[in-house]
Amino acid sequence: MADVEDLLRELAPQVLGALLRRHQALDLCEDAVQEALIAAAADWPTSGLPGNPRAWLITVATRRLIDEVRSESSRRQREDRLVFGSPPAELSRLPGDEHDPDRDDTLTLLLLCCHPALTSPSQIALTLKAVGGLTTAEIASAFFVPESTMAQRVSRAKQRIREAGATFSMPPPDEIDGRLRAVLQVLYLIFNEGYTTSSGAQINRTDLTREAIRLTRQLHRARPGDGEVQGLLALMLLTEARRAGRVDAFGELVSLADQDRALWDRDLIAEGVALVTSALARGPVGAYQLQAAIAAVHSEAASADETDWAEVLALYELLDRVAPNPMATVNRALAAAMVHGPDAGLDLLASLDGDSRVARHHRLFAMRGHLLEMDGSPAAARAAFEEAARRTASAPEKRYLLRRAHACQADS
Amino acid sequence: MKYMAIIYGNKEMWASFPPEVAAKAIGEVDAYNRRYTESGELLGAYGLADELMAKTVRVRDGLPAVTDGPYLEAKEFVSSFWILDAESEERALELVAEHPFAASNAIEVWPILHESGGAV
Repeated sequence: MADVEDLLRELAPQVLGALLRRHQALDLCEDAVQEALIAAAADWPTSGLPGNPRAWLITVATRRLIDEVRSESSRRQREDRLVFGSPPAELSRLPGDEHDPDRDDTLTLLLLCCHPALTSPSQIALTLKAVGGLTTAEIASAFFVPESTMAQRVSRAKQRIREAGATFSMPPPDEIDGRLRAVLQVLYLIFNEGYTTSSGAQINRTDLTREAIRLTRQLHRARPGDGEVQGLLALMLLTEARRAGRVDAFGELVSLADQDRALWDRDLIAEGVALVTSALARGPVGAYQLQAAIAAVHSEAASADETDWAEVLALYELLDRVAPNPMATVNRALAAAMVHGPDAGLDLLASLDGDSRVARHHRLFAMRGHLLEMDGSPAAARAAFEEAARRTASAPEKRYLLRRAHACQADS
Repeated sequence: MKYMAIIYGNKEMWASFPPEVAAKAIGEVDAYNRRYTESGELLGAYGLADELMAKTVRVRDGLPAVTDGPYLEAKEFVSSFWILDAESEERALELVAEHPFAASNAIEVWPILHESGGAV
């Protein structure tokens, strides 16, 4: 059953791509694909896989689409012939034939779903639906919103795409790079949404992590030469590798320094390290590659003390030059403190006091608390942790920061 | 991020609206609710009954004690609230500013705690 599901999700964007090449209406095509997937999920486990599952899905989805377009056409006095110009033979073409547009289809579809006319929640919803093949109910449950809300979000997204005049076609070459950055951002948001929630009650969210990795793998296959796509995939794998160590038996957060590294997934680490190493060797360097490289240094250290902090610091400095971002400076402060002592880190944090983007962010206070604790100032550290706890809307993070504050109290 | 928007009031305040003003306001709020339900940003909007209808529950020594009225001796009570799921705080505040009652009331906006942890 799980195999059928995996196969369907793998084929979903290919089938949608095939339909969209004949008919530009994303909403009609998407509905037709969804119905074909449902039919397959009901049929295949009992009657067995068809000889060519992809062609089966395309045939069924196309029939549904034709029915749908006919009913629309009769209203609009249009002819199916104008809409469906493709010879039927093309429908049963096997993947891997001399010209295989499936990989391009996935990319084109991702670019369409992450269209700049959409808000980021809409991009996420549409990507999971149209490319990931998730149902509206699954997406709604992963984001803790009512199914009707998610349905509205998806249909509004399709409407916006139509209004923006966007079509299922590859953007001009000079636009692809910029549009691809938006896709990477969406995939990273989906990953984080799943990764940062890992307590048992929200187990469905780990599916988002798996889904983000799966989609990023597909994108990597479509754009094997893109270092940032490869860097993002590496970053996801290296982060995912630490999942088991990230929370304790009670589901509470464990800091990187305190994690049991024996729980880390060595296979994922090996794959992530190999990916980021080859991406960096090829160049040009980018923000995802650098973040992956930092994660790789942590992954390869046997303990927090044995971490090559000089290397981490150098990578953060490079990251600051490639993609200046105050949150990266907050993280760099830890590396600076580990290499040059807590004062160096605290000085770096002080330089952010005037930066409205982070000056009141809980991470800045949390890092300050950590460095003050290192510096032997438990009272000031406690105050910083308490301030940080007040400034986060994340319940697990709040509990973690209050525990840190409490630990300072015990020492002072 | 999810946010809760809260309007406080009391029956004097609501009673001070002439019927035609109240009807117009209700129509505007309905339109607002419809618009942002459709955009997928409004998860739910609720108005609360009069404070006379409120009860307060306490369990002491294993026995529930129910008393009439709200817990706090306040002059103003929560009169309506709605839940938003917005892309950013900026967007949440923008949505609240667009609410028809923002022009005549103060509206509190509270982030709702979520279970996502930081990137540890």
